[in-house]
Amino acid sequence: MLTVTALNKTYPNGKRGLIDVGFELQAGTVTAIIGPSGAGKTTLLRSLNRFITPESGTIELDGLELVGATRAALRQARRHIGMIFQDYNLIEPLSALENVLHGTLGDKRLLPGMMGLYTHAEKKRAMALLQEVGLAESATQPAKSLSGGQKQRVGIARALMQSPQVILCDEPIASLDPQSTATIMTLLAKLAKQKQLTIIINLHQVDLAREYADHIIGINAGRCVFDDATAALDDAALARIYAQEEAMVNG
Amino acid sequence: MIETPVTSGLEPPQLDLTVPKGIRSRSRTAVRATLGTLLLVTAVGLLTLAPGQLGPALLSLAHNLKLMFLQPHLGQDTLAQLLGALGLSIALAAYTTIIGAVVAFACALLTARNLAPAWLATTMRTLMALIRAIPTILWVLVYAVVIGLGTEAAVVGLSFHSVAYLTKAYAEAIEAIPTAKLDALRTSGARPLLIIRHAVWPSVRGSLLSWTFIRFEINFTNAVAVGAAAGTGGIGYYLFMASAFYFDFQEVGAIVYLVLAFALVLEFVAVQLRRRTA
Amino acid sequence: MAELTRYFSHQRRVRLLVFGTLLALLLLAQVALQLNVIEAATGVFAGWGWLVANFAPIASAFPALGEISWQLAATVLIAIAATMVAAGVALLLALAGARTTSHWPLAQALIRPFASIMRNIPFVAWALVLLFSFKQTPFTGFLALLLMSVGYLTRAFMETLDEVGHGVIEALEATGAGYWAIICQGVLPAAAAPLVSWLLYMIENNIRDATLVGMLTGTGVGFLFDLYFKSFRYPAAGLVVCAIILVTIAIELSATKLRQVLNA
Repeated sequence: MLTVTALNKTYPNGKRGLIDVGFELQAGTVTAIIGPSGAGKTTLLRSLNRFITPESGTIELDGLELVGATRAALRQARRHIGMIFQDYNLIEPLSALENVLHGTLGDKRLLPGMMGLYTHAEKKRAMALLQEVGLAESATQPAKSLSGGQKQRVGIARALMQSPQVILCDEPIASLDPQSTATIMTLLAKLAKQKQLTIIINLHQVDLAREYADHIIGINAGRCVFDDATAALDDAALARIYAQEEAMVNG
Repeated sequence: MIETPVTSGLEPPQLDLTVPKGIRSRSRTAVRATLGTLLLVTAVGLLTLAPGQLGPALLSLAHNLKLMFLQPHLGQDTLAQLLGALGLSIALAAYTTIIGAVVAFACALLTARNLAPAWLATTMRTLMALIRAIPTILWVLVYAVVIGLGTEAAVVGLSFHSVAYLTKAYAEAIEAIPTAKLDALRTSGARPLLIIRHAVWPSVRGSLLSWTFIRFEINFTNAVAVGAAAGTGGIGYYLFMASAFYFDFQEVGAIVYLVLAFALVLEFVAVQLRRRTA
Repeated sequence: MAELTRYFSHQRRVRLLVFGTLLALLLLAQVALQLNVIEAATGVFAGWGWLVANFAPIASAFPALGEISWQLAATVLIAIAATMVAAGVALLLALAGARTTSHWPLAQALIRPFASIMRNIPFVAWALVLLFSFKQTPFTGFLALLLMSVGYLTRAFMETLDEVGHGVIEALEATGAGYWAIICQGVLPAAAAPLVSWLLYMIENNIRDATLVGMLTGTGVGFLFDLYFKSFRYPAAGLVVCAIILVTIAIELSATKLRQVLNA
């Protein structure tokens, strides 16, 4: 279970990124974060593994608090939080298999980590994960030779390699065609159930959120204005989330 | 690319998958082979070096570097003399770059594969590679014998190398022009000169400018080196006299600071130019 | 319409300004150099004629071939060794100085200007200062090339590392990987092709410059050419030039070929 309370983030230029954001997410669910551009979706998602450090509030994952964590504790915590990116962020010249194995780097000591020494068991598990995302055939291909959808699946396998409790997805399908989008979203929804993961996805498209998410968090001008099951997302709620003009006047 | 469907259902993944070895990538193999070979050569090279008395040499180097950088002074020569010599080296670099750029642009039109016939392009390419393969200083030394020691030899020698270098760079820039752009004018029946004026020149002038500027920097470095090694004058000659004749490293330091000041101005101009043309 | 006219007249003004400046520069340089243009122009062709006439009886210099190939091999070896050592130093400096990989603001602030200064110190100065301390040994040439290359490579490597971008680093930071694992398993593999490409470029350059450094420090093939040339043994000097041409072109061709494979 991931519990977030009263997160606040103000950027150096005075812009308020997050204002008193709090919610609670269960394992085995897919949560979509939606809202207008610049509302703070990315700030929120990146706060959850502290790529961005909020000034106040708490993020608690299995009794470990992240906002005030030391560098070592943070590294420890990040092992349990996988992340996938809009631009996949694979190491392009390396093989799909090596990219997946990068998911183990958090557990390694200095020298094995530097030299990329992986155990046979780790390699087998990486192959199994590639098989699970349908890419066992491409294990030895350099990542740069894969299509966008395939790269994103390698990215997912890399996150799974961490045996995470949470996977953060930063606009994972924004660079993909409709067919790959469906493949990726289906895969994420399946994995959440199958492995009891907490998956959190930043999305631009409300219809995708409706189709694949169990839970929706609506962000507007840095505030959490909706936090409920997908079924509860009615027109009034949407109007609230996407109320751009009013938010600017009031905010 | 067609997406392979994700394994459907909830069947457990097979765990008896064999782990494949290696990676199907020529690029990766090339990186490894190159680095491996170079490291081997380096090891051999370092073994052949084996300096004799390293300790005292390092001490004297430290002493001289201190004299150079911390206690520069003008020594034998006046500031006006040194500034004049610096000006001479800059003029030499500017002159040879401009001449080189003009000649090289003409040569590049004959070297670019998308403009010139194949036989001509290949001939030009080979000729330019030959000229480039001979170090600038050798050109200058040869011309110093033929024309006589002086500025003329330096100008001709440096220009030669500039032409060969810039021709290659310009030709590659021209070859990067999309075929469609040239064809659009070709099909309209435009004369070659008009194609050059309206299709080639506007598409390449940006990269031409930056290559020319890079060559100017190289030519300045070479102008200094040639002055020292061939005695053709300029700040390089003073540098050579100060260190190899008078062993006055404080003056060497002063000259180095002068050159650095000019290099600083040059970098500033380069940044500005890049910003304007970008 | 008026706007269009204005646009074209602006273009014409810019063009005039550029060509005017260039012409002025050329004239200024001419005044400074007091160049005898006619002598220089006729000299171009006279030089080629002289080259062919004097360097041609190369066959007579074949006894010197052994010495020449030995010195040339030593020079190439030293150029490569110097570049590789410089690359090692430059890579560490670049990691500490590049925006994407550096954790130390002070290093970031210092390394860029340091590289710039190193790059712009004329290598004639390096060669001569080193000659004084290390005498006429190959080690002097090695150090001179090394010092010349460090600044240049640091800058090139820093730009390459910055181009790798934050994405790659973030992806591995998200797994909880440590700094050196991120560098060795993420950043360096991602940047390997352009880094090696720069390395090859620098080796090419250094092999060219090694002749000049050799002349200044009295070592290697540059010294040999100087010796032959100044004692009027032109055929032998010609043989040196031919050998240099062969090696330089061979290196250039293999570097070009390698670069094609690297970027594939």
